[in-house]
Amino acid sequence: MRRTSFSMVVVTALLVACFCGVLMATFGYRGAGEGGAPYIARGAVETGAANLVSAIYLNYRLYDTLLEILVFSVAVLGVRFYLAEQKGSEEEVARIPESQVIRTSADLLFPPIFLLGIYLVLFGHLSPGGGFSGGTVAGTGLLLCAVALGADVVARRFHEAALERLEWGVLLVILLFALSPIALWRLPLTDLFPRGNLGSLASGGSILIYNALIGLKVFIGTWVVVYSFIRHRGEI
Amino acid sequence: MNFINGVTIAIVLFGIGLLGLILRRDLVIKLLSLGLVNGSVILCLVSLNARPDGVPPIVRGPGGAPYVDPLPQALVLSAIVINFAILALALVFVMLLVERYHTTDSQRIEHEIEEEEGP
Repeated sequence: MRRTSFSMVVVTALLVACFCGVLMATFGYRGAGEGGAPYIARGAVETGAANLVSAIYLNYRLYDTLLEILVFSVAVLGVRFYLAEQKGSEEEVARIPESQVIRTSADLLFPPIFLLGIYLVLFGHLSPGGGFSGGTVAGTGLLLCAVALGADVVARRFHEAALERLEWGVLLVILLFALSPIALWRLPLTDLFPRGNLGSLASGGSILIYNALIGLKVFIGTWVVVYSFIRHRGEI
Repeated sequence: MNFINGVTIAIVLFGIGLLGLILRRDLVIKLLSLGLVNGSVILCLVSLNARPDGVPPIVRGPGGAPYVDPLPQALVLSAIVINFAILALALVFVMLLVERYHTTDSQRIEHEIEEEEGP
């Protein structure tokens, strides 16, 4: 036992050394900053988005982001599939009566958290944020509600079959929207929308639309994952 | 040269996470270590191209402010989403294992599987 853990420490040290070596090799890149120089020089003009990170992942490298959304969807599907197979523990977990403090603070906090999520989604092309982070913030706000009110109370407000249809419908809409330029005999993933004034809400071409769709998708996905875990356990 | 920067902290965190991943027997702690490793990689990628006078790559107007490189920040997004996917799925598998073997100890689970298969 002692010997195996000793050899594992040695292996770990070697792996860390490899990691450091890779880092040292990339140190030549450090300070040069040439990888993103074209984006800094032309990104805002070409895409119309003030946030260059959004401009890269929703315009120049949209293909990458589409597959990322697919990875996210597959993860949500996997969580739902494997947890639905098991019906969860038989014995009812005793419901802990939530305190007044949690209920009141959840009532106070949920609207601003949800609003912040929507703001992050809508202004993703102008400021830090975007569909992924905004959707997660809004979904986590729902988790707060589930902690305070009980997950079943929150879940009853959603029609689950409709939620599932909406989740896959949004994915379909994103993919169709990305492929839609084909209809106009252009390459897929081309941004056909006007660029707008840099810094205004209606700028950045289709980045805003992608952000809204991704935000909705991530919001639903986060809630589905959280609710699958909660339902499996019985109660928070 | 300042030795306490994002890259060195990322190396230390990577080592801690890797050690936890290999040495700890508890599956949940293994997953937490995996998250730590992922976080250290993100920290490393983002701080690799940091500069002291850098500003966030958000264009406020014409003119060349010293923006930091937006490319690694955009690529790190994939790492974050994939980390979420891996952690969520791995937690589900840990839950299934716990349901069957009633322990999160990886060695005891291995032992019980060996006993189940039998000679």
